[in-house]
Amino acid sequence: MKKHARLLSGAAVAAVLALGASASHAAENTFIFGAVGTPAGFDTDAWLTGTLETSVNVYEGLTKHGITKDASGRDVIDAATVEPHMAESWTVSEGGKVVTYKIRPGVKSPFGNELSAHDVAYAWERARDRKRVGNFMIRVGRIEAVEAVSDSEVKFTLGTANNIFPRILTTVFPALTDSKVLKENATAEDKWATKWMEKNTAGFGPYHVDSVRPGEGAVLVYNENYFEEKPYFTRVIYREIPSPASRAALVKSGQIHWADQMPIQQLVDLIKDPKVKVDSVPGTGAATLRMNPNFKPFDDVRVRRAINYAFDYDAVSEAVFRGLGERSDSILAPAFGRFYTPAQTYNTDLDKARALLAEAGHGNGLDIQLEYTDNWWWEESLAIQTKDALAKVGINVDLKRIPKTEMNSRRAIGKRDIPFFPHLANAFVLDPGYAFYLSAHSEGSSDVNDYNNPVFDKLVDDLIGEQDLDKAIKLAHDAQKLHADDATFIISDFPKTYAVTVPCISGWLWYQHDRVVWKHLRCDG
Amino acid sequence: MTDVAVDKSAAPAFTGIGRVLGVARRSPTFAIGFAIVLVFALMAIFADVIAPYGPIETFARQVLTPPGAEFWFGADGNGMDVFSRVMYGARYAFGIAVPAAIIMLVIGVPLGLVAGYKGGMLDEIVLRLMDVLRSFPSIVLALAVVAATGQSLVNVVLVIGFLDAPIFARLVRSEVLGLRSSGFVESAVAAGNPTWRILFVHLLPNSIKGATAMIAVRMAWAVRISATLAFIGVGIQAPTPEWGAMIRQGSEFIISGEWWVALFPGVALVGVVLGFNLLGDGMQDLLDPRRKATGK
Amino acid sequence: MTVRSFLLRRLVLVVPILLGITFLTFMLVRIGEQDPVAMLGGPMADEASLASIKAELGLDRPFFVQFGIYLGNLVQGDLGDSWQSSERVADEIRNRLPASLELLIFSVLLGSLVGVPVGLRSAQRPNGLFDQVSRFVSLLGFSVPTYWIALMAIFVFFFLLQWAPAPLGRLDIAAFPPPDVTGSYLIDSLISGNWSTAYSAASQLALPVILFSIIVAAPIIKHTRAISLEVLASDYVRYAKAQGLRPRTVRRIALRNSITPILTFIGTELTGLLAAVSLIELIFAWGGMGQWGLNAILLGDFAAVQGYVLVLAVFSVAVFIVIDLLVLLLEPRASLRA
Repeated sequence: MKKHARLLSGAAVAAVLALGASASHAAENTFIFGAVGTPAGFDTDAWLTGTLETSVNVYEGLTKHGITKDASGRDVIDAATVEPHMAESWTVSEGGKVVTYKIRPGVKSPFGNELSAHDVAYAWERARDRKRVGNFMIRVGRIEAVEAVSDSEVKFTLGTANNIFPRILTTVFPALTDSKVLKENATAEDKWATKWMEKNTAGFGPYHVDSVRPGEGAVLVYNENYFEEKPYFTRVIYREIPSPASRAALVKSGQIHWADQMPIQQLVDLIKDPKVKVDSVPGTGAATLRMNPNFKPFDDVRVRRAINYAFDYDAVSEAVFRGLGERSDSILAPAFGRFYTPAQTYNTDLDKARALLAEAGHGNGLDIQLEYTDNWWWEESLAIQTKDALAKVGINVDLKRIPKTEMNSRRAIGKRDIPFFPHLANAFVLDPGYAFYLSAHSEGSSDVNDYNNPVFDKLVDDLIGEQDLDKAIKLAHDAQKLHADDATFIISDFPKTYAVTVPCISGWLWYQHDRVVWKHLRCDG
Repeated sequence: MTDVAVDKSAAPAFTGIGRVLGVARRSPTFAIGFAIVLVFALMAIFADVIAPYGPIETFARQVLTPPGAEFWFGADGNGMDVFSRVMYGARYAFGIAVPAAIIMLVIGVPLGLVAGYKGGMLDEIVLRLMDVLRSFPSIVLALAVVAATGQSLVNVVLVIGFLDAPIFARLVRSEVLGLRSSGFVESAVAAGNPTWRILFVHLLPNSIKGATAMIAVRMAWAVRISATLAFIGVGIQAPTPEWGAMIRQGSEFIISGEWWVALFPGVALVGVVLGFNLLGDGMQDLLDPRRKATGK
Repeated sequence: MTVRSFLLRRLVLVVPILLGITFLTFMLVRIGEQDPVAMLGGPMADEASLASIKAELGLDRPFFVQFGIYLGNLVQGDLGDSWQSSERVADEIRNRLPASLELLIFSVLLGSLVGVPVGLRSAQRPNGLFDQVSRFVSLLGFSVPTYWIALMAIFVFFFLLQWAPAPLGRLDIAAFPPPDVTGSYLIDSLISGNWSTAYSAASQLALPVILFSIIVAAPIIKHTRAISLEVLASDYVRYAKAQGLRPRTVRRIALRNSITPILTFIGTELTGLLAAVSLIELIFAWGGMGQWGLNAILLGDFAAVQGYVLVLAVFSVAVFIVIDLLVLLLEPRASLRA
């Protein structure tokens, strides 16, 4: 059936769609996004299927990161600079503890309402009350109060001056929403209109939701009132295609523009295919195995180090990541610029591993269990290679696959009872203090292996508040070193973030949230 | 474990060449089924001899090698030898089917005996339970139970065994109902035999015929459903060399053309299930010659 | 017993069965380690947010209170919300059931159209060549796992031969669903005269329907054969033969007497098939209720699992009642089973 092998250009897709849709869309550029699942909600405080993938295109921040070039000459976002976006300027006073933002005039939602300081205050009030992701930001950013000083000025009062706070404002946590619309849709039981946000959006960003069809996908359209340049694609068909193999087949045949979240198996194949364009960025999250030091035998640092030495980094790169990943060597990623220090503490060294095991009294072998699920495509494969590698030093790894929900609830704060398991944490705020805090500070919500070292906590707390760049870099380096010495992570490769598209797509700009921002994309030829 | 299966299902065939041939003539279905099951049983027993590699031995640099001299059935997504894994997979097929069948019998038969003989409340409960199970598709129930109770081989075996027990209970119960008022039971009661003796010495041998023919069919089902669960991602999991789990992994590679990962474990699965089904069909022919003509 | 009193009696009997299943499922999803709270909280949730989500879902209440609330809502037709999709479970089922039924009904039609004649023909000459072959094929149908044969078919017909479209659901990605009349995309697009959509729907349906009909046909062949053999051996057929009626007439009499038991059997088979179709849905990304239900079980989506199982149970109970009614209509002399 040759019909299925046609290659559609953007215009052709639009033409085909126009047959079924109303004619008014005929002149638009439509982007067909092959996603894992239909968005189940658009509230960044309720993290469901497709929420982030869409939200980063619907909401935008008061500020944004600058754009710089990396070594290869590609545009990348600059962790060091924060620029005005929906706020046109700001003033800092009281030693950095009070920051007042002036809202840019003319920023409008699709409903025609102009962004005001009250919308900002509403967003933070909502986050605080809902006690979700936004509340975590309040805590790490040490935000004490947010108030609208006037219609166009919003004042943030901080507990202590810190580097995380200005970067939080570049994110969609919490989402800056059109509070007038949200209030209209609030009900007595649901004062924050969370129910309404499961199906609708009211942001100030470039796109908003037109319709959602459960099981099929969603359609997002351009916000006619968007304050910046009109994007190339003005209509996005967010199509649910759960099987990665199917997404691969569809991008090959040109029936979708973008195949999201492709596992390596498909990538190996797609990279060789001239009908598909594949681009990648290491990102901030490396695939790790985490050892919980509250459980035997991981309470012994020698065992943890031995496992780090016994791990076969090359085999994992080859078999799990098929040579497409990139070796990571620190809890921090190179994306953090000068804060990152290439530590490279552990390389495969079986003799060292055996010596350490013998020293710890496990010379005759050791039985451990590795629990995994399928939050990430590489978990099972990594688990298998780990079993294989550790067997060489007499460690017998029993693999146990557990349901996703079980994994997520058992590693959540307050429980944390999995001794040994795979994990990956992305830093949604591009700040080293944030990244450390999230993954390894004893209060961090992604400290899933319950690592608790007061010295490390102190380093991180100091780093978050440190205003002097050189001192901050020193603190970041010390923290990385200490974390590596404590060896509660086995750090393997960055699985990387991939842009798998039809060849005409260009303009992809990677963000730390690892979701594609559609407004930069275009299709030429 | 595996040889138990062979003994059980094949007992009549081992008593002499002549009888073997006789059985084969009376029911070729039985003979073919028996031969297939025997081949897989041998495969299970001698897996470690036949397989060139370990079932979970990985060759990191040979991920997804197509079938060839080095890997007869190719290498899978983890760089494991598909041929060796298919061989070892037979152990899981029998390792599930045999204990599950034992559970079915151990629970189902006494339940049917007692329910049929005593009647009353217990009989009513067994009947209602059967009603509930009848309106509850077994695959969904098995899936839900295994998903909820934790994913292990033991749980899978238990769930399959428990789900099928009522089938045997029903079979035995209906036989017992017919025998209850027959002369030999009445004389046994009159002779002052205790109830358990009547149940297990007098009734059991006479009511078990239908159940024995059913065993092979339900073992086929046990192998199938455990593989289905593994395929869906519940129960036995990779890297365990279980056929359903292997097909699950292979399903990721079908669209990109690496067919061997899913093909071979599937062929083995079809083979052993077909073997048990033929065996069951043939056993029914042998136990009830009239059936062969009517197909009932 | 009149039809009405029969129906009433059946409905009364159905209630405890459904209640039992509801309770069983409600308990099952909650006894395991499955817990949606942390999943919903995301990686940045702290203890306060986990507690608030738990309270929002009502999972902080005692078990029997939760069950009472669920039952209370259930009698009002509210099956709760899926936390995975934030949809009302009742809506999800309403939206997805037609997809499953379309697949199921076409497959059962095809499977019966093939299976019944083959079974009848087999019974004409038991142990003849045709019978031997058809019995073996039927056993093979019993033995082949649905999902595996589907994967292999996709490899051959999509990957190698490119005859079949990508296994991606009910319509080509560029086609839009037709206006909803019957719920079947194929029939609805034919009704509305949308030929390209009808073509798309038919080509997406072809492979899964053919594959599933194999699974459907296997038991139909087996039982049709058995039923037919029994009828042929019955007194009245022997009597008809003895009367010297022509073989064709005898066959017709036999066929007429086989119809009811065959229909009854196909009906009974239907009840299990609505669950079995979920595997085909999964592989062809069909987006039906089965695929959704499987996913719900894997993800521990409580309300969705409960809703799915309940619908399966209601479906099978309804099918049994309909069968009995049909039997009553086809053979008014038959006594009603309680």
